[in-house]
Amino acid sequence: MSSELVLQNVDKIYGAGTVHAVKDLSFTVKPGEITALLGSSGCGKTSTLRMIAGFETVTNGAIALDGRAIHELAPAQRGVAMAFETYSLYPPLTLAENISFALKAQKLPSADVDKRVKAMAEMLEIGDVLHKYPSSVSGGQQQRASLGRALVRKAGLYLLDEPMGQLEPQLRAVLRGRIKHYLREHHCTTILVTHDQTEANALADRIAVMEGGVLQQYATPAELKVRPANLFVGTFIGEPPMNVLPVRVKDNGQTIDFVLEGSDGQVLSYAAQDFPDAVRRRLKNDDGLVLGVRPHAVHIGKKGLMARVVTCQWLGDQTHIAAEIAGRTVVSVSHEQIKAAPGSSLFLRIAPQDLHIFAADSGAAIAHGAELA
Amino acid sequence: MPHLELASISKSFKSNKVLDDISLAADAGEIVVIFGPSGTGKTVLLRLIAGVEEPTAGTISIDDQDMADVAPEHRDVGMAFQNFALFPHFDAFENIATPLRARAQSAAQIKEGVARVAKLLKIDHVLSHAPRQLSNGQKQRTALARALASSPKLLLLDDPLRNVDAKLRFEMRLELPRLLREAKSTVLYVTQDYKEAMALADRIAVLAHGKFVQVATPEEIYRHPATVNVARLFGDPTINLVETVVGEGATIDLAGETVEIDKAYAGLKGRSVTFGVRPEAVALGDGAGLKAQVMAVTPLNERTVLLLQTKGGAELLASLPSSSPAIPKAESEVTISFNPIGSHLFDRETGATHAKGRA
Amino acid sequence: MDHTSTLEQVIRGVLITCVLVFFLFPIFWIVLMSFQTNETILRIPPSIVFEPTLSNYSALITGRLESAAGNLDIAFMKNLWNSFFLSASSVLIALVLGIPAAYAFARFRFRLGEDIAFTLLSFRFAPPLLVLLPLSLYFKQLGLTNTYIGLIWVYQLICLPLILWIVRGYFEDISPDIEHAYRISGNSWLKTFWKIAVPLAKPGIAAAGLLAFIFAWNNFVFALILASADKQPVTVGALAFVTASGIQYGQIAAAIVLSIAPTLALALYAQRYLVEGLSLGAVKG
Repeated sequence: MSSELVLQNVDKIYGAGTVHAVKDLSFTVKPGEITALLGSSGCGKTSTLRMIAGFETVTNGAIALDGRAIHELAPAQRGVAMAFETYSLYPPLTLAENISFALKAQKLPSADVDKRVKAMAEMLEIGDVLHKYPSSVSGGQQQRASLGRALVRKAGLYLLDEPMGQLEPQLRAVLRGRIKHYLREHHCTTILVTHDQTEANALADRIAVMEGGVLQQYATPAELKVRPANLFVGTFIGEPPMNVLPVRVKDNGQTIDFVLEGSDGQVLSYAAQDFPDAVRRRLKNDDGLVLGVRPHAVHIGKKGLMARVVTCQWLGDQTHIAAEIAGRTVVSVSHEQIKAAPGSSLFLRIAPQDLHIFAADSGAAIAHGAELA
Repeated sequence: MPHLELASISKSFKSNKVLDDISLAADAGEIVVIFGPSGTGKTVLLRLIAGVEEPTAGTISIDDQDMADVAPEHRDVGMAFQNFALFPHFDAFENIATPLRARAQSAAQIKEGVARVAKLLKIDHVLSHAPRQLSNGQKQRTALARALASSPKLLLLDDPLRNVDAKLRFEMRLELPRLLREAKSTVLYVTQDYKEAMALADRIAVLAHGKFVQVATPEEIYRHPATVNVARLFGDPTINLVETVVGEGATIDLAGETVEIDKAYAGLKGRSVTFGVRPEAVALGDGAGLKAQVMAVTPLNERTVLLLQTKGGAELLASLPSSSPAIPKAESEVTISFNPIGSHLFDRETGATHAKGRA
Repeated sequence: MDHTSTLEQVIRGVLITCVLVFFLFPIFWIVLMSFQTNETILRIPPSIVFEPTLSNYSALITGRLESAAGNLDIAFMKNLWNSFFLSASSVLIALVLGIPAAYAFARFRFRLGEDIAFTLLSFRFAPPLLVLLPLSLYFKQLGLTNTYIGLIWVYQLICLPLILWIVRGYFEDISPDIEHAYRISGNSWLKTFWKIAVPLAKPGIAAAGLLAFIFAWNNFVFALILASADKQPVTVGALAFVTASGIQYGQIAAAIVLSIAPTLALALYAQRYLVEGLSLGAVKG
């Protein structure tokens, strides 16, 4: 049932060439894969989704589902199931009728339909409101019904537009787990559009990060965290966001020193052998760099960079400490409960394998950890 | 002597009772977070204190003075609104200057006062902009600056980070404690984000159904929630809850399997309870014990959340640091146990927490 | 999809042309008439080819009408001034009274509030003739017949409801938090009204004022019954051209052109406000 989706050099230009919403976009979603289109508003993700669904024409390029070019077909002929951000439930039908709508149109036996609707409702925790009309249930319940209506169908491709934005926070984690399990089990090829990276990370096998209509990187959530292609992806992915430190590099043969910009000579210093020759060759020539460090990789210890505590916040399962170095705030996340008084000093340690090194001018990644990007 | 004192405040709109006989005292310089889901009357409470709305019953005193007949403009409070409520026809400078102008300060004093808070909030470069020219983050900072400008003794912040994006919210969450410390005001901060509440509060007052369910430090509320509802509201993912009965010794029945829990609960045999265990208190191991299958692995920020299912069909969430080396794969089988810190028993009827070590 | 076919565009063009012709032709024809003598106007068949004359306009402006039957004195310029004076003062007074009232209706819930607001609006539903008979009797008693004050008073029936309902909608659109923020900053409610509510409702106030002005300007019946020649506005004054010796079509046309010119100019100038006022404030109120 599951299909492969291929986008090839897709462009979307609105108006008389004034707004170039999607630029030369190519990516492949493998059969059964869950892909998230992630980006802030105006990045082109919604235009892309609408082109795949058929609500928007493709200016240039091609979209193929299982080798069949679908971008010229009417939406109904594409074999695509979609859950809308605005739910778009049919108001005169109950939630149960909404969910079963497409199944009934396929003339499936009603016992079979009932069984599938019931199972779907149970998974989405709307079993007790199935007989109600959309206007008399909460936004979160409407959203779950809309999701159920899309998932209950058998389709080659599932398109989910911000499918969990309105979900009750107390339900979110469980539903994410169940939906991911369902998509896996039924081998559904899925595209999920979201601006919420938590949702993308939780659900997707691979994430396409978009910005300004351009695909920045298409990789697994882990890969995006460990090997971001550029500074944009590095700082966009990750919550709390990656710490960013502009530095100048000095390699004296024994040690490699990263001098913090704007400081009176504060240095992140590493033994030269911490970095392979390939990386050192690149760094020698580069004067200005930007170091990126994930908050969980900033360790607090007895030695290292001295910093002044700005805030220390314990959130139940983790502690966030913000400390100031050279006028910049560095955030450290730890999974224990730590107490540090604001204004006190502490020492931060960053292992060389946790450093992300970007070019200061282009933002392109130079090295991740001790490996060339 | 507390700086702000609310005594038996009630507020009704027609027949709808929003606040029901609530009392709270805040010391000078204290940050009290009013926390609760939307629609619980948090904003109404702030409006009562600001004086733009009148309580149906009860008294509000600031510095021991009853505020009943004091107009909002004479209460010396600063307030920031969830929707920012900037004056669209004033530029950022004039917006921030409003409280200073109302206090009849000289032009030089006003300029200095605005410059001080603008610098603190890093908006000194956009002071000449009209609100519609400001980004969301700048609007929110301008609104905060306006509230802080006259150094009011009492600051009322109504979910000021609600309408900014996640990244800005995080940044401001780290920045706010320093700002509030420097302002030296007593702060009442309304939010429905439990992380914000824990990060900022000296004390959290949990509001539900018009009443304060628990007023305590963040640590107390997270570690010792007064009711099952408080436990549900704090924590992401939400605490796992299973309705069950306490068995022989300190055990419960979990979908047909007998599971050991905190020994401190030994005296509750036969009670109908809700067993609650925080996802980070679900420990994974291998070997003997309660077996569960990993249904899905969903990364959540710096942590990874596992959806587990026991043989009997009970669903549990477990949360591990993403950096931990032993994150199991989907479909694998694990053994789970429950860490006593983070395990609770709640009365199934009342929802109240059973104290450990007592019946 | 975001494209429209050629056929659609053609049909759309034709329809728009029809509508334009339908609405603009009378105005176009009146402008032509105003430059013709009665003889050329009444010619059969009518033609748009003629020798233009300014005699209609000069007659209006000098106040002397020379027709085949003899000379007639007319007070058209006086009428024009009356129209302007009556409309402007009525709107001004209606604004002074209506804006605070609109604010009160928008912000405060008080007993019978909705009923009072609706009663005021209902003045717009009643046919003016219905109130005119009793009104003219009262006015005679009070000595208000044929006075500016009397007319301005009656014109409030036109202006006040309009201003009240449009401006009220605008006040309701202002978030109360903005006003709260200003008060908490240390300002009295009166200052808040002046510095926040009124400036923010300005587009609505402008739109309502303009509409009220145009409605007052175009009023006919009130002035016809309650005023005599020297206090009458242009709408009534134009009747003078229906003389015993025939209807002076040329002069009527010129009078119409002169009398719609100010309101038309005003309306075009403030088009943006007007549309906004009609669609936003009025609908919401």
